[in-house]
Amino acid sequence: MKIVSELEKISPGNVLTSKENKIPYLRDASYYTGEFPAAVVIPRNTSELSRIMKFCYENDVQVVLRGGGSSLTGSSIPNEECILLSLSRFDKIIEVRVDDNYVIAEAGVRLDFLNDELSKFNYFYPPDPASSRVSTVGGTLATNAGGLHGVMYGVTKNWVLGMEVVLPNGEIVQLGGPTLKRSMGYDLAALMIGSEGTLGIITKAILRILPKPECSGRILAYYRLIEDAGKAVSELKNKGIIPLMAEFLDRISMDSIKQVKDIDYPQGSEYMLLVDIASSVESLSRHLELAAEILRKFDPVNVRITTDAKEMQKMYDARKGLYSSILSQRNSKSDYVIIGDVVVPSSETAGTLKDIQKSIEKHNLQVALFGHIGDGNIHTNIFADVENNEKMVVVEDFQNEVGMIAVKHRGSVSAEHGIGLEKKGLLLREFQQRHTEGTLEVMKIIKNCVDPKNILNRGKMFDL
Amino acid sequence: MEEVEKCVNCGFCESVCPTFPASGYISSFGARGRVDLGKYLIKESLKKNPVDLNIADSFYSCLSCNACVVVCPAGVNAGKVSLIARKVITEGNYVSRSNEQPVAKMIVNSIMKYYNPLGLRKKCSKWAKDLEFDSRSETILYTGNMFQLMPYSKSLASIKKKVGKRNTDRFARLLASWPLLIKLASNLYDRDLAIRMEKSLKGIVMLLKKSGVSFGYLREDEPYPGTFLFELGYEQEFREYANKVYGMFKSRGIKQVITVDPHTYDIMKNEYPKVIKEFNIKVLHYLELVKTDIFRKTEETITYHEPCHFSRSETPFNSPVELLANLSDLRMPAFNGRATYCCGGPDDLIYTDLANSVSDARSEQLRATGASKVITSCPICFTNLNKYSSVAELSEFLEGLLI
Ligand SMILES: Cc1cc2nc3c(=O)[nH]c(=O)nc-3n(C[C@H](O)[C@H](O)[C@H](O)COP(=O)(O)OP(=O)(O)OC[C@H]3O[C@@H](n4cnc5c(N)ncnc54)[C@H](O)[C@@H]3O)c2cc1C
Ligand code: SF4
Ligand code: SF4
Repeated sequence: MKIVSELEKISPGNVLTSKENKIPYLRDASYYTGEFPAAVVIPRNTSELSRIMKFCYENDVQVVLRGGGSSLTGSSIPNEECILLSLSRFDKIIEVRVDDNYVIAEAGVRLDFLNDELSKFNYFYPPDPASSRVSTVGGTLATNAGGLHGVMYGVTKNWVLGMEVVLPNGEIVQLGGPTLKRSMGYDLAALMIGSEGTLGIITKAILRILPKPECSGRILAYYRLIEDAGKAVSELKNKGIIPLMAEFLDRISMDSIKQVKDIDYPQGSEYMLLVDIASSVESLSRHLELAAEILRKFDPVNVRITTDAKEMQKMYDARKGLYSSILSQRNSKSDYVIIGDVVVPSSETAGTLKDIQKSIEKHNLQVALFGHIGDGNIHTNIFADVENNEKMVVVEDFQNEVGMIAVKHRGSVSAEHGIGLEKKGLLLREFQQRHTEGTLEVMKIIKNCVDPKNILNRGKMFDL
Repeated sequence: MEEVEKCVNCGFCESVCPTFPASGYISSFGARGRVDLGKYLIKESLKKNPVDLNIADSFYSCLSCNACVVVCPAGVNAGKVSLIARKVITEGNYVSRSNEQPVAKMIVNSIMKYYNPLGLRKKCSKWAKDLEFDSRSETILYTGNMFQLMPYSKSLASIKKKVGKRNTDRFARLLASWPLLIKLASNLYDRDLAIRMEKSLKGIVMLLKKSGVSFGYLREDEPYPGTFLFELGYEQEFREYANKVYGMFKSRGIKQVITVDPHTYDIMKNEYPKVIKEFNIKVLHYLELVKTDIFRKTEETITYHEPCHFSRSETPFNSPVELLANLSDLRMPAFNGRATYCCGGPDDLIYTDLANSVSDARSEQLRATGASKVITSCPICFTNLNKYSSVAELSEFLEGLLI
């Protein structure tokens, strides 16, 4: 095949064409399965990557990018007309500048690896998706990933100063730079964030970093009613307490971590809050007690404080692995987990959760709820046999309804997982609901300008 | 089937799998890729005309290091998936038997026939020819031939590198069909390594004797424990073989074995009881019997490479870390405890380049501790890491600290 032999010339030894080598690239962490791409290419460096893109642009070859392959919306799966470009070899941390508060890392660096390195300087990079063990700098920028620390630190876009990008035609451009301020026309680095591999290939990024909090402790609070849990978190904020992390888990989720990690919960609990408070050594226990006092006001089953590092780590790991372990709670062996991801302003969380509960009952689905309650981000984990079309119609209807519930509560159909293949319809519906269809048109115009041949991640996010 | 169907493809396992970066980040050489291939294999097996996939390299190159299972939130063991897939390959059920690794097949034939992967039981007992043991003791020192075999496997691996994969495979096929030829392998021998390995074994004997332990040794009757059979997926052969070894021990009235390496320790302690009815031999590691007050302390800065089959065994064995921390200035590498990083050794014979790449990565982590010496407690780890820094085997190091 001409494409393969040409690619092999540009990136010798790095072009995979056999069926068995392609199989692992057909899936990301969503329930979608892609088609066999013409080839999988794992380029060594930016100049090789640029030459590959030049060739693909000139020959109308579609390109799908893959970082850690942990996307939950099918945004990194290939089709049979594309080549799949893996960024795994872009695995170096180039520079740590504690004095200037930034780190430069290549796109394939996994977030946990980045933070392991930064912790040697007692610094850290705040965006902390539950997938941080596997997700990469490039992938998290391309999806504007959020995570467990979003309530205090926001999402990826708040932490990006600049990046190097290879455009669809192979040109290499530098966007932004290492300074904390920069006012020089359109913020093109910002444009790349959340672009899901449709505008350019991020090869390295300049990321803001912070000194680690001196110490933190955790409050475990258990409730019977979801409204109480939601109100408790809102009240924390009303009282000026911004947690380092505020997560919630429902009973299916609690059962899952009980089963896989042996972490029990008090009888009668239907919902659990994990609230981390950062502070100084001297004032940690006072701050924890203050927050616990507020959480106790909302009729909890139990509220407990822990500062035991081992216990905290175990619970944190269990929360991070929840999406993967929750499958253990399915009722039927043919079920898989389809994870939803909506967001509302924090004060609307309680009302939104109540509406979602009603929708679950209406659709008669088994759904586990957990999420980053501190920033109003709710994940609905639907158990369903993805090959059962009838069931999937119900699932889709439920997803649409939940999306619209979020929009009704001033929120959005996608909080942090992006659009990919899964939410193309919902993206349009949100804009329609908010009477701003023009926003989608602007996106399409931008896509057309930057990638006029539509070779990058075609068919993801929206159709042209 | 059960092992892979719990997987949601999150990729956590891939992030810790040593063969993934070592392969140049080819997913089919990573933990998630192996699970994906396992899923595909199952799907194909249900079809009338399954596609014959060329999957051997993916599964045979798995190090069985179990790093993946430690981080999988769903409790999937990609290492086990590889084991099962190898079994499927060796049984020739779903995929054609052409996937069977010829070098693996050669070693299996030899173990079944000679109780030793290279048919070298006699040579494996030579290290002890001048030593005396208590032949009436119900406790034996059980080396499992692991230290003794290292000088041969290292030579085989270097020959393989010289002649290239295709020729080695041809050579292996020939040997596999005629096990006697395997004895030819006895000419392939790394002398320097043999001296170090003998020294380690003698050191272990010395430590045990200084601690007042009395024990026997089977000399040239000592069988190999069958680790290779287990790890290469020859389940039936392993079951049969383990029972033979156990029968041999029982017929000699043996009640307790003192193992000297993590692979023999792990397989005897955790796998033998699964395939042998009413297994009742006590399995120990020699450090469990060595007294701590026979050593002096040192100011030397050392680092310790924990073997996967100690740290991630069903029955984790951490005594070396505790002892070394007491005796010296111990600096553990970045990946330690349950998160220890494999030395690459299990791939050395068949996937030499991959093994080298894994051991390069591990050596770099050990070097980054700034320690002047690396201590290992496994002959495979020692052989694989010995290429770069100053590496000492545990018993060799401890012998130097005897009061
Ligand atoms: C267990 C689990 C937990 C999760 N938890 C969270 C969470 O808490 N918060 C959250 O936000 N997400 C979460 N996710 C979703 C997922 O991890 C994120 O979307 C993550 O940002 C994807 O990163 P990745 O490196 O795996 O990218 P991939 O999945 O490989 O790719 C994602 C998208 O980015 C594009 N892309 C990849 N690399 C580049 C590049 N270098 N340049 C341009 N485009 C690129 C791809 O084409 C694709 O469109 C979770 C996923 C799992 C499996
Ligand atoms: S970590 Fe477990 S669930 Fe995740 S991809 Fe690996 S085997 Fe599958
Ligand atoms: S056992 Fe080790 S080498 Fe094998 S898949 Fe798991 S992590 Fe990778």
